[in-house]
Amino acid sequence: MNLNLPVVRLLVLKDWQLFQKQLALYVLAGFVALCFIGLGKPWAFYVGSLMLIIVLVASACFSISTSLLVERKDKTLAFAMSLPVSPLDFTAAKLAGNVLTFAVPFLVILAGTLGVVLATPLPDGLVVYSLLVFAWIGFAFAVSLAVAMSVESEGWATFAMIGSMVLINPYLMALGQVPAIQTRIAQDAIVWTPEAVGLLAVLGGLGVVVLAATAWHHARKPAFY
Amino acid sequence: MAEGDNARLHYFDHLRALAMLAGVLFHAALAYSPLMQPWWPPADRATLPAVDLVAWGLHLVRMPLFFLVAGWFAAHVIARRGGAALARQRLRRIALPFLVAWPLVAWSLSASTGWAAMHVEHPSAVLALVREWMQQPDPPSPPPGTAHLWFLYYLLLLSVLHWVARTLELGRRAAALLQRHPAWVLLGLPLLLAPALASVSAPHPAPEGLLPTFWALGFYGAFYALGALIHAQPGWLARLAPLSTWLWCGIALAYLLFLRGLAAAPAAPTASWPMAALEALLATWLTLACLLAGRRWLDRPSAPMRYLSQASYTLYLVHLPLLFALQYGLMDLEWSAGTKLALSCAGTLAAGLLVYQLMVRHTPLARFIG
Repeated sequence: MNLNLPVVRLLVLKDWQLFQKQLALYVLAGFVALCFIGLGKPWAFYVGSLMLIIVLVASACFSISTSLLVERKDKTLAFAMSLPVSPLDFTAAKLAGNVLTFAVPFLVILAGTLGVVLATPLPDGLVVYSLLVFAWIGFAFAVSLAVAMSVESEGWATFAMIGSMVLINPYLMALGQVPAIQTRIAQDAIVWTPEAVGLLAVLGGLGVVVLAATAWHHARKPAFY
Repeated sequence: MAEGDNARLHYFDHLRALAMLAGVLFHAALAYSPLMQPWWPPADRATLPAVDLVAWGLHLVRMPLFFLVAGWFAAHVIARRGGAALARQRLRRIALPFLVAWPLVAWSLSASTGWAAMHVEHPSAVLALVREWMQQPDPPSPPPGTAHLWFLYYLLLLSVLHWVARTLELGRRAAALLQRHPAWVLLGLPLLLAPALASVSAPHPAPEGLLPTFWALGFYGAFYALGALIHAQPGWLARLAPLSTWLWCGIALAYLLFLRGLAAAPAAPTASWPMAALEALLATWLTLACLLAGRRWLDRPSAPMRYLSQASYTLYLVHLPLLFALQYGLMDLEWSAGTKLALSCAGTLAAGLLVYQLMVRHTPLARFIG
């Protein structure tokens, strides 16, 4: 089965145009968060880091919720079926659109965070820790997107979204229990311990596998339903 | 494109070239400024008090003018070719040159400063500190900064914020402000800028850190936005023009007060509110006065100005490493500050133009920094 790339591109563009206002807000919030961190005061660092995490989680949930759950409610799929679009095209467009919508603020904020850590007196050990936090958010996004694309139930999709994002709390606590990760945070050096690298590889790999499996499953569907 | 747009391009280009020349003069003058003796690496023991009378005026106008012109050109590109074209242009002409030039500039500044710290017999206060620091057994590495390339860095940030503002349609209210009497901008903009300038020292520093700062985004972002808004309302400058005489009178008065404050106030981490207000007034009024002067005197084709304009980006990239190297070499000579200032300006300009002529003008690099 071949992808109709021009149509996929149009569908992605459609999503981009629909969501760019919210994306712009997230990018703006990301800038404000980085500026807070740049003030170089403990309270400002706390406010800025918290804001960054909120922006990331919100942007991940927003794209899934708007492009999949709300569209499902609005019966947008019925309209899409009237277009010369195959289920594979539609799936590819949804995957690409969501990944793009999420990736823009994600990458901007990730770059900003790493810049903050490396450019300020903050210990460079935070680089690995920050990457582990971002890796979790990326993984949670992949799981939420996969569930939202695979199930018809809005309840389950919402549960997957909120559940995976809220699990960042126990995840952070768990990271604090791993000496090879915890003890490196305050060091002024980037140390790639096997535990940290393993966790990054597992989260990154699982995220890709989950998305690939979702795409493969949808690609085999002969019809939209 | 309208005829008016073509005509306006000349003076915007020429103003950009002159602002670049002002930048070379400003950075060269800092070495002989009594005020900058404790802070500037090539600060020379020969000082020229007159430098402080002129340099801080240049400081208050040249970067706001650069950002205003950048905002105008960004709006120009968007109007002609769309936002995607601006993004591509910013990647090619700002992001890529910044990423390539940054390590080279950092290395050359560090190498020349390191050499000067160890070899100059009459080091500045900063060089003496660097010497002490280099003699430590395991010296800590200084935090990475963007040096004078912070302008490119902030231009990239402001380009992203420009997209945010266009997407969220934030420009409407500001555009409405430009439809009122120009005095609204002349008095309103300084009110917006004063808090930003009150949060940093006076004269305001260069935001060289990698972290974006509220004050720099607010201060320079306002001029970038004003440039974009002026592009959308080309008649605004014509409405401002009759106020030109009043503007220059206000500038003269505010600058006298500013210099008096600068001489009287001790160095503090944040400026007093009156000083911040004077800086805000001067930055706004000087920038707009230069724009009006450019519109009146530079709005015509000129081969030398065109050449300078084309060379200005290369000059900007290379001028500080060249200037530092030259001024470190001049530090031990028993010449007057005026002679050293003239030599360092002329030498930097000559070397910078040579780099442009030999390495950029007729090479593929012209596509990026030509």
